[in-house]
Amino acid sequence: MSSKSLILRNISKRFGNVIALDNFNLEVGVGELVALLGPSGCGKTTALRVVAGLEHQDSGTVLVANENISDVPAHKRNMGMVFQAYSLFPNLTVEENVAFGLQMRKVSKHVRLKKAHELLDLVGLDSQSKRFTHQLSGGQQQRVALARALAFEPEILLLDEPLSALDAQVRVNLREEIRRLQLSLGTTTLFVTHDQEEAMALSDRVGVMNNGVLEQIDTPDTLYNKPATSFVASFVGTMNRIPAQLSDGHVQLFGKKIPVLKNSNESGKVIALVRPESISIKSTESDANAKVLTRLFMGASSNIVCQTKDGTVIQSLRSSAESGDLHPGSAVKLEVTNKEVLISNA
Amino acid sequence: MAKALRAKFQPPLVITLLILGLFVFLPMMSAFEYSIRTPLTGGYGWTHYIWAVTKDDFFHYILRSMWLAGVTVLITLFVLVPTLTWLHLSNSKVRGLIDGLSLLPLVIPVVAFAVGAQISFPEFVQNTVLELPFLYFVLALPYAYRSLDIGLNSIPLKTITEAARSAGANWWRTITAVIVPVIRGSVMATIALTFALSLGEYTLTVLLHWDTFPTWVTNVAQDNILGAIAISMMSLIIPFLILTVITLFVPERSTQGRK
Repeated sequence: MSSKSLILRNISKRFGNVIALDNFNLEVGVGELVALLGPSGCGKTTALRVVAGLEHQDSGTVLVANENISDVPAHKRNMGMVFQAYSLFPNLTVEENVAFGLQMRKVSKHVRLKKAHELLDLVGLDSQSKRFTHQLSGGQQQRVALARALAFEPEILLLDEPLSALDAQVRVNLREEIRRLQLSLGTTTLFVTHDQEEAMALSDRVGVMNNGVLEQIDTPDTLYNKPATSFVASFVGTMNRIPAQLSDGHVQLFGKKIPVLKNSNESGKVIALVRPESISIKSTESDANAKVLTRLFMGASSNIVCQTKDGTVIQSLRSSAESGDLHPGSAVKLEVTNKEVLISNA
Repeated sequence: MAKALRAKFQPPLVITLLILGLFVFLPMMSAFEYSIRTPLTGGYGWTHYIWAVTKDDFFHYILRSMWLAGVTVLITLFVLVPTLTWLHLSNSKVRGLIDGLSLLPLVIPVVAFAVGAQISFPEFVQNTVLELPFLYFVLALPYAYRSLDIGLNSIPLKTITEAARSAGANWWRTITAVIVPVIRGSVMATIALTFALSLGEYTLTVLLHWDTFPTWVTNVAQDNILGAIAISMMSLIIPFLILTVITLFVPERSTQGRK
């Protein structure tokens, strides 16, 4: 069975007084990997569970290949799912776990074991097929869970923070593996995470959620460089928040007049949102507007934390070679290199 | 080797085994010794056992009690496993109430229970011996409920249930192919408890005027006390052997926590 498109239309879901999803809309194309990113409690996992049929929405429709599946029970939806917690069946061996979905579909034992070995081979665990799940490490268990979710050729693959229980190194390896498998099998995938690095590294598009609403869905590049809202700007990557005065659609930053991204006729105090890499820094004594607090060496680049005369703390990301002469206490001149800046209310 | 043995048999375990031996095995061994006495010759022999198994009704009543106990086990599992699974998954406030209700059979006198059953059961149920398993089920409820409850508490029930459902298992398959095998230990304990309790139940059976193995043994005991003890010994050993065979035939798959 091939991969299919997924559409969530006007989905709302409440838990008591808490609104988990508020008129939520999402489209995932065939073979696309979309991540839902957001802080805890933003509704991203609820959205995934609604797609899986493990939670039923109060209103709205779920469409797979334009077919309404809102009332189809979870076991008939043909969606593979990998959970945050280890979810393998402890009474079954690794190969039996992977073959479980095919067993439920009444596929003959010979065929399902053959398929299980194919999938285990893909995730590099064929040699462990006869072991029980408690004999595997956390990373191996999640690999088996991934193989189990893919073994019955699901129309859609759902990943609910599958890497969050793993060590840093295992996480990076496994996320690359997930992407490789997803691309080679072409499975439409919805991936839920609170880790922005993971979302950005893995996905074709990332949807940023806040309070049950999709704030913005775009490619990782657009999301980072052109955030649609101040929440997205602050949530994705590091952002300097610099107090500024808005007038005629421009803000004054370190003596330079810069147009704001969303033209506004209002005027008054605002917060300009500027990425650390968009702050240039120059060691100077004559026209200094800040001094260095610390320099965090990170290999090829360094994060220089400065404080302006009015007390605002600003981070500047520069190459380590170019910022080697900056030390705590150095007088520096900061400048914003952006052609436009995003603002939020002060 | 000696070190390993010492590590295995630590004082608390030894004391527990001694107490268990004193209170359980000593009376059983004494009863056994008594049952093989032959007062006429002053020695030991199998006379009373032979007398028991050659009695016309021995197999009739023991088989009847065993199949009634078997039906009770089935009712217990069919009712309790899905109910407890639902209670655990739904996180319902009703769970506390049902926890409490499941203890009621311990405090309600069996006489009241028997009278209640006579009043509430429809006549066609009262006319058949099959009314007994339903009542035995209620009597075994406090133990069976707790045994399964502990099993379900010890596993990540929500995650594995959802994993099974998203992999294509309906509720029936989720329970039979995943939940029951994963809590196999608790299920086996429930079977053993329910089976043993049903097999030995006397008061309720007598009050409802049914004859089962325990009531038959009581009648027989009036003629031959040593024979009755021999029968009692057999009624202990036979279910024990049956449960051991069941345990051996159900393959051990749930090996969680063991390396």
